[in-house]
Amino acid sequence: MDRYAEQARRVARAVLRDPDDADDAAQDAFLSALVKLEQYDPRRPFGPWLMRIVANAATDRRRRRSVRSAEPLDPGVVGGGPRPDVVAERSALSERLRQALAELPERRRLAVVLFDVEGYSHAEIAGMLKVPEGTVRSEVFHARRKLRTLLEDWREPS
Amino acid sequence: MTEHQMPFDHQPDTELGDALRRALAPAAHDAFVARVMSRVGTTRAGSWDVLASWAGRGIAAALLVLGAGFAAGRLMQPAVGTASLEEALVMGPADSGGAATAVVRGSRPPDASVVFSSLRP
Repeated sequence: MDRYAEQARRVARAVLRDPDDADDAAQDAFLSALVKLEQYDPRRPFGPWLMRIVANAATDRRRRRSVRSAEPLDPGVVGGGPRPDVVAERSALSERLRQALAELPERRRLAVVLFDVEGYSHAEIAGMLKVPEGTVRSEVFHARRKLRTLLEDWREPS
Repeated sequence: MTEHQMPFDHQPDTELGDALRRALAPAAHDAFVARVMSRVGTTRAGSWDVLASWAGRGIAAALLVLGAGFAAGRLMQPAVGTASLEEALVMGPADSGGAATAVVRGSRPPDASVVFSSLRP
């Protein structure tokens, strides 16, 4: 569990913006995985199996609660606002990235986080999200385009 | 995150990945693990409770079936052979085959004094 805890929490947070909600979802996922452990096929990698449970747990939690914080933000809010000072640059960039992620559709968020952050293959992510592999590629592409723009904008002034 | 990266790259975008990893970095790893592990203990205990309740019901049902089977077996047991050797001997020579049957099928061993007294020189 120690090995997958951070990964599970990041994936849950890709779906749920609130860190506490994400942790609750990750916890639900671990407990659910424990109950379903006999369904796991040990010939297959454990990570994708667990991350599918995490993604489902996070999605379920988001659906159950009022989703004000997970709804797409007003683009005016995301794009505006003063830039933070240099000392806080990294944390400010992280906040901007989280906001940008929140603007993406949920499947797109998961796809880019699972691919670029967690290193799963398109095929594995397709299995987790139960969509065709081509859809995963497309989702990663669109998510990257959006997030890269943000990063490039951030980098330019410095 | 560079321009040369094509839309359908097969490789993870490390720069974007690192930035996202920092953005999504969870805090208090040990506290989270401890919290989940404590819940895991509760879940396991709950599972054992469920299993124990299932086992209790199973044992009770098994005892019930066993008792019913034993009672049915007793009821279906034939009456032949329940006579003791002493009773068979009292019946006399006309029913001499009854003594042998009683010895073979009887549930109690015959009284030795009866056996010896029935032997004639």
